[in-house]
Amino acid sequence: MDDKTEKSGSGQPRCAVLVVEDEPLIRMEAIDMIEDAGFPTYGAGNADDAIALMERHADIAILFTDVEMPGSMDGLKLAAYVRDRWPPVHIIFASGIMGIEKMDVPDGCLCFPKPYPTGRIASALNDIASSLR
Amino acid sequence: MNDLSDPSNARHELTDAVSTSVAVLAPRGRDAAVARQLLEREGLRAIEVSSLEGLAALVDDQIGAALVTEEALAGSGSGSDSLKRALLAQPPWSDIPFIVLANGSVSNRSVAATQRMDDLGNAVLLSRPLHAEALVRSVRSALKARQRQHEARARMEELQLREQQLYESEAKFQAIANSVDQMIWSTLPDGFHDYYNKRWYEFTGVPEGSTDGEAWNGMFHPDDQERAWKIWRHSLRTGEPYEIEYRLKHRSGRYRWVLGRALPVRDPGGKILRWYGSCTDIHEIKIAGEQRQLMLAEMNHRVKNSLAMVHAMVSQTLRQSASLDDARASILARLGMMSQAHDRLINSTWSEAHIRDVADTALAPHHANEGRFTICGPDLPIGSKQALALTMALHELATNAVKYGALSCENGKVLVEWSVCRIDDADHLHFVWSEGGGPAVRKPDRRGFGSRMIEQALASYFNGTADLSYDPGGLRFELTAPMDGLTR
Repeated sequence: MDDKTEKSGSGQPRCAVLVVEDEPLIRMEAIDMIEDAGFPTYGAGNADDAIALMERHADIAILFTDVEMPGSMDGLKLAAYVRDRWPPVHIIFASGIMGIEKMDVPDGCLCFPKPYPTGRIASALNDIASSLR
Repeated sequence: MNDLSDPSNARHELTDAVSTSVAVLAPRGRDAAVARQLLEREGLRAIEVSSLEGLAALVDDQIGAALVTEEALAGSGSGSDSLKRALLAQPPWSDIPFIVLANGSVSNRSVAATQRMDDLGNAVLLSRPLHAEALVRSVRSALKARQRQHEARARMEELQLREQQLYESEAKFQAIANSVDQMIWSTLPDGFHDYYNKRWYEFTGVPEGSTDGEAWNGMFHPDDQERAWKIWRHSLRTGEPYEIEYRLKHRSGRYRWVLGRALPVRDPGGKILRWYGSCTDIHEIKIAGEQRQLMLAEMNHRVKNSLAMVHAMVSQTLRQSASLDDARASILARLGMMSQAHDRLINSTWSEAHIRDVADTALAPHHANEGRFTICGPDLPIGSKQALALTMALHELATNAVKYGALSCENGKVLVEWSVCRIDDADHLHFVWSEGGGPAVRKPDRRGFGSRMIEQALASYFNGTADLSYDPGGLRFELTAPMDGLTR
């Protein structure tokens, strides 16, 4: 589990992003990208660590997860679990799978390909953040 | 006109003429001449013979009928025996009709004469003096009966030929059906299986006849049975060709993939008479195809992952570099290193590398500093991801050493050493990079891609902990990871 980073200081209600990605370099990149967009982040390398972080940090409003991951749950199962247990949490998938943007995902979830389209992801995060205010 | 120069044609003509002619044997008086005259006037052909031997010869030649006087039959000796032999030698279909010109009433006839007439088999008596119409009608009737015998013979021969052809055709079918590599089967129009070739029984190992009817479905893999039934029923209902891939139980007890196909054979009105089907063992092809699919998916995943890593490396390098020139040089060097690491992985088994190889590959570009590296440790296997991460981390350490550390001056040295040690009762990898003899080390104020790669990413790939310490005497890096972290 990566340490939480603190970047939001504007006094708004915190809207943190949990990044779940098993490849550490890519996780680092995702965290940098999301922090650059102005969001505090948490990082996890698998679904179990992600759920542990969700349980501890009530400020996590967005789950940003890979689809194919080793361990007991892949990204889709993790999303289903989170949707069930924390319904208000927004879910974003990112994957190198072909056709990820047309993939059958739960309602309201967003999908992005890898490598990350940085600009589109940043604006999607901002849209979610403004809908939460 | 027939070509008489062809002896076989001439012979055919002759026998044909004989078969529709009447033999006339009336050696005494004018009977023969009168009879012949009467017959020829009616367009009937007559051949006169003068002895029983002559008559016997015409019987052998399949004469159409015979007109013979009772007294000629009475003649004793070899002629009588010849005729008897010729009559007995007739083929089963043949029974030459005889018209016997009688001498008088039956009551006057001797036992021997009656016996000779009985020996003729198919004989009628005409009394003399000759009555022209009776004679002609009798002969016509005999020739007609004889013609029917020929027709019956032709029909019988045709049936025998068909039977022979059928036998040959069946034998040919069996030979083909049992020599091909495929399993072949056939069903009634309702789908009832009533034929399998030998290959089916060889493949499945079940007793002959045990899969007749609907029992074949039990030979399919349980997961394929319902699907196969559905497709087969659809074909039976619609008459559309049947085609399916499914797993069939081999006599070894294992299931093998086969391709099943069947087509209906219809009568001229389009009604289905039978279904003929085959099963082809496609197990090897199918497995190879599945493996190719798996490998393509894996390759695609790796390529995408590599691009994502390049993306991560480039964007972090750009974010943290002091200038574009710096960034360009770093990116090119890092890309080169990633490329070499991939080459090394491809040359090994692609799923596993060895730690010694990884260290050699990562430090090869710095071999200009030959003799300044000491590399030692057991040659442990490590996974492809760990190999790539370690290569990149070593590249960063070496690049840093060349710029600021032990390799930036003439006497500096680097020790790269690893070992397996016990921590909390479990084997761990302890990997150390240790510099000495260089300029005084000081902690950089910027943390670039390199230091994050070394301190954070590498440990994460190995599921271990990393420590980078800026000892004034020389930079020191340590990685400690559980053994299962090397290949997970």
